[in-house]
Amino acid sequence: MTVGSQVKGCYSSIKSIEAGLGILAHKTQDAESRQAFVNVEQIISQIKNDLQKQVIELSKQEPQYK
Amino acid sequence: MPEWINVIVRSLTLIVFLFFLVKWLGTKQLSQLNIFETISGIVLGGIAAIHTMDPTTNFGYAIIAMAIWFIVPFGVEKISLKSKAFRDFTEGKSTVFIQDGKIMEDNLKKEGYSTDELLEKLRDNNVYLASDVEFAVLEPSGTLSVLPKRENRPLTAKDLGIKLAPTKEPQTVVMDGKVLLEPLANLSLNTNWLETELDKMNISIENVFLGQVDSDGQLTVDLYDDKIAVAEPVEKPLILATMKKCQADLELFSLSTENSESKEMYERNSKKLQHAIDSITPYLK
Repeated sequence: MTVGSQVKGCYSSIKSIEAGLGILAHKTQDAESRQAFVNVEQIISQIKNDLQKQVIELSKQEPQYK
Repeated sequence: MPEWINVIVRSLTLIVFLFFLVKWLGTKQLSQLNIFETISGIVLGGIAAIHTMDPTTNFGYAIIAMAIWFIVPFGVEKISLKSKAFRDFTEGKSTVFIQDGKIMEDNLKKEGYSTDELLEKLRDNNVYLASDVEFAVLEPSGTLSVLPKRENRPLTAKDLGIKLAPTKEPQTVVMDGKVLLEPLANLSLNTNWLETELDKMNISIENVFLGQVDSDGQLTVDLYDDKIAVAEPVEKPLILATMKKCQADLELFSLSTENSESKEMYERNSKKLQHAIDSITPYLK
């Protein structure tokens, strides 16, 4: 497994977490819980953006594994 | 008119009359009634009993007597709701038995309680050592309320400084295999959602004896067939586990890369994610 594919795997896990938190934030009846889910979802979204850049960067560096 | 018909008519009338009087007097539990309410309850019953059994008595008198025995306690209750002084007079005051961990012998004597009775009341509250008690008060209803000393109180999440996610009341959405629409609507969910969730668990709605949804929208069910194992909800633990895995991955990447810019980025995000995990853990348990 190349570094590129490892980072890609992590990137997709992060995306799945973001979506899961989004679902929970919609489903919960409690305002405080909803706020907590939304806050963490935002943090995850920032991480996701960083990782996305990294994935693109790595795919440039490792074109042979594309 | 034969006497037995008279008895039947009287009985039925009094049952209806008594039913409404008791209803209007309020739905306190028997042990919460004060002396006055207890006595008036007994007298109402007594009047009703005498006049159903004895056809020779004047039935009008029965109604008058019962009305008076109803109006006076009813009035007393209404006034005592308004006035504190009147309430203290009719319902009695509470008496402090133990204050600052010391037994008030004079108050015990005043209420006619022996030491044995005090110990018995404490044992009712699961206290076996009188010195464990900070404060105890005898309520007008005759029960003893006990506040144990701080170190003898049960440990709570607050004492331990653990943060817990708030929860609302769960809603029952399936009962005896039938969907209850109103609770579902309260959670802004519909039957389609319920069917999807049940499909995920691989069970049909007819087999569900009881289904409840907690405030986070997780469905838990009990089936008619107790041999079938029901899957526990995994959504939230799964998210938490994935977050932890990603955090570990990021740390690993930051250790293995030699590019200082990437290293810094991985480290920063790993810390961010750790912070996110710490703050969300109580909600995902």
